Amino acid sequence: MRSRLAAVTAVTALVLGTSAACGSSDSSSDAGAGTIHVLVYGDAGNKVEKQIVETFNKTSKVKAVLDTVPGADYQQKLQTVINSSRAPDVFFNWGGGSIQPFVKADLLLPLDDFIAKDPGLKDNFLPSVFNSAVIDGKAYGVPMRGTQPVLLFHNKKVLADAGLTPPKTWDELVAATKALKAKGVTPISLGGGDQWPTMMWFEYLYDRIAGPGLFQKALGGDREAWASEDSRKALDTLKQLVDSGAFGSTYDSVKFTDGGSPALVAKGKAAFELMGSWYYSTQQDANPDFAKSGLGYSAFPSLSGGKGDPADVVGNTNNFYSVLKKTKHPEAAAAFLKLMYSEDFVKAQLAIGNLPTTTNTLDHLDLSASPGYSKDQYQLVKAAPSFQLSWDQAYPPSAMTPMHTAVQQFFDGRLDADGFIKAMQALPTS
Amino acid sequence: MTSLATSRGAAGRAARRTRPGAGATRPGFVWALPAAVFFLLFALTPLLLVVVLSFTSWDGIGEPRFNGLDNWTALIHDPVMLQSIWTTLLLTVLGVVTQTPVSILLGVWAAGRQRNRAVLSAIYFVPLLLSATAVSVVWRAVLDPNFGVPAELTWLFGDGNLLGTRSGAIGVLTFVGVWQFTPLHALIYQGGARAIPQVLYQAAAVDGAGRVRQFFHITLPQLRNTVITSMILMVVGGLTTFDTVLILTQGGPGNDTTVTAYYMYQKAFKGFDFGVGSAIALVLVVVATLISLVVVRVSGYDKMRGTTEGL
Repeated sequence: MRSRLAAVTAVTALVLGTSAACGSSDSSSDAGAGTIHVLVYGDAGNKVEKQIVETFNKTSKVKAVLDTVPGADYQQKLQTVINSSRAPDVFFNWGGGSIQPFVKADLLLPLDDFIAKDPGLKDNFLPSVFNSAVIDGKAYGVPMRGTQPVLLFHNKKVLADAGLTPPKTWDELVAATKALKAKGVTPISLGGGDQWPTMMWFEYLYDRIAGPGLFQKALGGDREAWASEDSRKALDTLKQLVDSGAFGSTYDSVKFTDGGSPALVAKGKAAFELMGSWYYSTQQDANPDFAKSGLGYSAFPSLSGGKGDPADVVGNTNNFYSVLKKTKHPEAAAAFLKLMYSEDFVKAQLAIGNLPTTTNTLDHLDLSASPGYSKDQYQLVKAAPSFQLSWDQAYPPSAMTPMHTAVQQFFDGRLDADGFIKAMQALPTS
Repeated sequence: MTSLATSRGAAGRAARRTRPGAGATRPGFVWALPAAVFFLLFALTPLLLVVVLSFTSWDGIGEPRFNGLDNWTALIHDPVMLQSIWTTLLLTVLGVVTQTPVSILLGVWAAGRQRNRAVLSAIYFVPLLLSATAVSVVWRAVLDPNFGVPAELTWLFGDGNLLGTRSGAIGVLTFVGVWQFTPLHALIYQGGARAIPQVLYQAAAVDGAGRVRQFFHITLPQLRNTVITSMILMVVGGLTTFDTVLILTQGGPGNDTTVTAYYMYQKAFKGFDFGVGSAIALVLVVVATLISLVVVRVSGYDKMRGTTEGL
């Protein structure tokens, strides 16, 4: 009996002791110099983020703590935590529409004061990238990973066998698809089952035909932009390509994400695929031999008579760090952001295959695993008058599903141009 | 022998008149308290919160803001909502129609005590152990139009655009449902078939009934309650189908396989519109409840009688 009592007492003491210990450790970390919590998307890229946090903590009195959330759950977790007492001080995002609801809810700190004190926070980044986290004229994010422009990839051998070269103009692309089709090759591989790869074709055609302004107007709330003549022309051009069989007939049963569409290109069953720059590493993982010698790429073709600059690109401009308004340590956050253009940061990102978008990236491109590829991409992004953020990232999250559905239905012929325009006009904007 | 049979018959009739257990005192409510509290906390409370949320506009960031009937009027005018209900019902009906015959046959066959049947049944029940996610991923790969089975069997699949058309996608979802859920229902039928008294078959054999006749005149009628149980499970499972849609079709092509549960997920967890998401969830609750009530009424599940009465 006595021993049992002793055991109960011991357990009680233990429980109280640990809970007390928890409490005290919490308060001690909040007291003193304090901490800033940095919330990031959990994946292989965290290696660099960890390293940067360590670098920061070596000199700073306020310590940074890195919190990672497994990728698939990131957006949901962020949404639930951002307006709670457990909100981070600094967090990872995709710029544009991904932070717009937070800006609207007045949760984010405009970085203009930081930039006024240290102009490098803006000037050391490529403007076309930096601008995708500018909302209503105020900067809300600093680029913190690599840029991912969308390129037109191809199988070199398939093109050579058909006597073709990578197309520089839209007409050349159309002619190439006809020649390839005649040879029994699917001209363009498309992971339509994922829906967003289909959207990339819209992004580029709208840019080439109407220029970047049309989409910006539409995003700003001008729904008539979708019904404009340029918009119809872009849809018409795209429809002709789809109807000519350039994408084959089974694209909606194929996905990029499960390796279906890249395998088509790697195995020579298809010639082209329009995809973000991560395509190179996708092929490297799945088909290393093909990535090494058979994979080619070019910028999206120009379109004669179009208003868009042929040098424009679309894609994921970069990922960004944004700062919460209620952070207790804005100076520490500013100091942390400054590391995003440091040499250490650039070198570390290049080493893991990312292409940072700082102005000093060019000096270190030799460190990249594939310097030629990195250099081409960097020049492309640097020279781009406009870098359009992917449509589904530019719009608020609630627009994503209806937008994906609309692009797929237009390719399927379930929506005609009028139907597509109506669907886009119904999207929620800011 | 004859006297034994009559006495058993008399006992059966007597039991029917008095209803077994009718005279016994029922246990007090206290016994049900843990279950009731659990139900209240984890079923009723969330349901009530969802009702409240369905009258608000909430993106998960700020405070929910009441917006009256806005979500509901939006849903009524939303063509996708109505279509999603039809798609859900269609998939449910297809599921019941395809899974029931296969599981009955398989279950009755597996009820035999032969060794080879035991071994084969064990293999048939393997899909039951696999997660829906794994099942869906595997079938996506198998049905790939360029590298999967359709590429080899073009005479059967045409160009293999199975997941790119409405009929194809619904066909795939139904087929994967059969593959995935038949084992569970076959297991239920196996139990049901083993519970059928052998006397009936012996008597039928004496009367000269063959296997087919025995199946239709003894096995099927005796399995009536099992059929109802399994069917209700299928209906409930069909109405809440989500995981296979998420992985196989993502509601596509277009909205063609957007079932109601998936539509709710799209609105609430991809679009962060929890108000509309809650309203869709409630519609699903109402539709599922109505259908369950109808099934219970029509099948007589509520006053279920033993099939061995009179034996």
